[in-house]
Amino acid sequence: MSELANAFVQLDEQTVYKLVDQKISEGVSPLDIIKECNQGLTEVGELFALGQYYLTELMFSAEIMQAVMEKLEPLISNTENKQNTLGTVVIGTVKGDIHDIGKSIVVSLLKTHGFEVIDLGVDVPAEKFIEAVKQSGAKVLGMSALLNSTYQEMKNVVDALEEAGLRENVKVIIGGTICTENVRKFTGADAYANDAMTGVKFAKSVYGVE
Amino acid sequence: MSEEIKKLYNERLGRFQAAIALEPTDRVPLIFNTVYYAEKISGYTYQQIMYDPQIWAQVEVDFSKKYPEVDTFRTNLVWAPTWDILNHQLWRVPGRDIPPTSLQQFVEKEWMKADEYRMFIEDPVGYRMEVYLPRVLGEFKEKGTVRSYIAFLKAGFAQGLVAAMNRERISRLENEVGVPMPCMGGFTAPFDYIADNYRGLHGIMRDMFRQPDNVLEACEAILPDLISRALASADPKKRYPIFIATHKPCFMSPKQFDTFYWPTFKKGVLKLIEAGYTIRVFLEGDWSAHWHHLAELPKGKLLCDIDNEADIFKAKEAFGHQQCITGGIPNDILILGTPEDIKQRVKLLCETVGKDGGWAPNGGGHIPENTKPENFRALIDAILEYGRYSDGPPPEPKQAPPTPENLDLPEPKVITPWEVIKEENGWSIPGDEKLIKYWWDRLESMAYNWVMSQ
Repeated sequence: MSELANAFVQLDEQTVYKLVDQKISEGVSPLDIIKECNQGLTEVGELFALGQYYLTELMFSAEIMQAVMEKLEPLISNTENKQNTLGTVVIGTVKGDIHDIGKSIVVSLLKTHGFEVIDLGVDVPAEKFIEAVKQSGAKVLGMSALLNSTYQEMKNVVDALEEAGLRENVKVIIGGTICTENVRKFTGADAYANDAMTGVKFAKSVYGVE
Repeated sequence: MSEEIKKLYNERLGRFQAAIALEPTDRVPLIFNTVYYAEKISGYTYQQIMYDPQIWAQVEVDFSKKYPEVDTFRTNLVWAPTWDILNHQLWRVPGRDIPPTSLQQFVEKEWMKADEYRMFIEDPVGYRMEVYLPRVLGEFKEKGTVRSYIAFLKAGFAQGLVAAMNRERISRLENEVGVPMPCMGGFTAPFDYIADNYRGLHGIMRDMFRQPDNVLEACEAILPDLISRALASADPKKRYPIFIATHKPCFMSPKQFDTFYWPTFKKGVLKLIEAGYTIRVFLEGDWSAHWHHLAELPKGKLLCDIDNEADIFKAKEAFGHQQCITGGIPNDILILGTPEDIKQRVKLLCETVGKDGGWAPNGGGHIPENTKPENFRALIDAILEYGRYSDGPPPEPKQAPPTPENLDLPEPKVITPWEVIKEENGWSIPGDEKLIKYWWDRLESMAYNWVMSQ
């Protein structure tokens, strides 16, 4: 692993920024720098899956990556940027629930892993999810919830996708600590996630990455 | 209280207290904490209950009549006008911001900025009055205007009304249906106080990496006030445990928890135990990486509500020999499952974690609102069938332990001590100064606690 990727794994924020600045001044291509950072990011994800890193560490890695992207984005052309996108994910917290934290963690991780994310916010009615899936052609729809009073609402969204004739085009994942296999079955979703990395892995598998 | 109701009350309280103390009792106790299901089956909306204290009290009494086997429970609500009158930004209110049938929801944000730690640490109450409260209380945004003074006056009246309502509700439960409280008063872990109310999860996460010393100092700075507040709100007769809802440990690594969370949490809890109280603590999310610490606390003093994300069987192994636990019924089975699913689950729990006491059934820290009535009934029936330890009556309630003489508790804080106003006015006090000072300081510390807890 490179020095930069390693600094990422150690969550050594200042070293990451210093190395990125150094590489930019040496003329290393932004996409190559991103690739190196991604190695570190992937390793952080692995450590999280192994239970060696916890949520706050995972979040901080995304935080560092966002700061790196702020440095690099102005240097990347639009075409390169588009090529660099793994795919589009539509996401929101379902109607009746205004909790933002879990969703925003998933959003930042999806972005740092290279997805384009359409974040519909919180308390999102079914029509809005349907509209966004239709408009964007996204193959992944994520619904987030914290309250266990939202089971029915998540089911409503899946039913509405069916009615709109979109169900075949899009894989649905529900996420939040309240989600279980029972809840997945009840709602008709394709998958459920209790942690943010599971959501990222699901999106990657749908888009055939890794 | 009639003799019959008194007997019922004593049986329930005795069973509850014995369970916490890990002492023998007649059956697995039904000692729920928050039961949102009670509000849902009442036929009233959350808005109706939260704006009408009579309805609220009736909902609780009716629930107890419907389920007399339940030893204790509570509706975990707030009289909503307390939020309206201040235009409180931390809460979304049923019927005002969200549908009347929705539960209130908390708005977590970076209400304190990353560079404001020193201001808070050096003068907690000054920081709150000058910076924090104008941000979180809409009616205090224009500090110093007539409107802002009126907001504080209204809040003071409301505090008095709320105290009267709580007394009334608790008294009706005790005297009409013989139900003790599952907890009374509250302590907050200093780290959660800073994380939930000030910095939000994203903010506190950054702070642990970027300014760890400030986080630690802030936790220490607020600890005495949080202990004072817990003691001021606790049951003076020490019958009921003091409640703590923990929020952030499930997101923290063991190293972070050991550094930032546990030291001030432990100090606070030990102080309250030393003062003669038991503690009921909701371990939100998956606490399993931190469980071993709970075994460090004195035996039989904590009642721990285990959330659905954690494994109740492992919790029993990790610290169940030292503290009583509740939980083990997945919320999704209560909401989506069948009575048979519930019966099998309760049977399993009675035969394992509940076999020798020290366990009570619960969902993930609460009974969810959409629980099917037939499932809740099945839960109770299964406890009566599989959860019996003996035929005898439950033990008598415990005598309140005396407060140790040399107990070193933080002094309740005030903004203007009696001595200051006395000196300013040159009062020579020809009468009994103690009488005057007592009420001066008492109202001062009530006001101080109010400012620290909004």
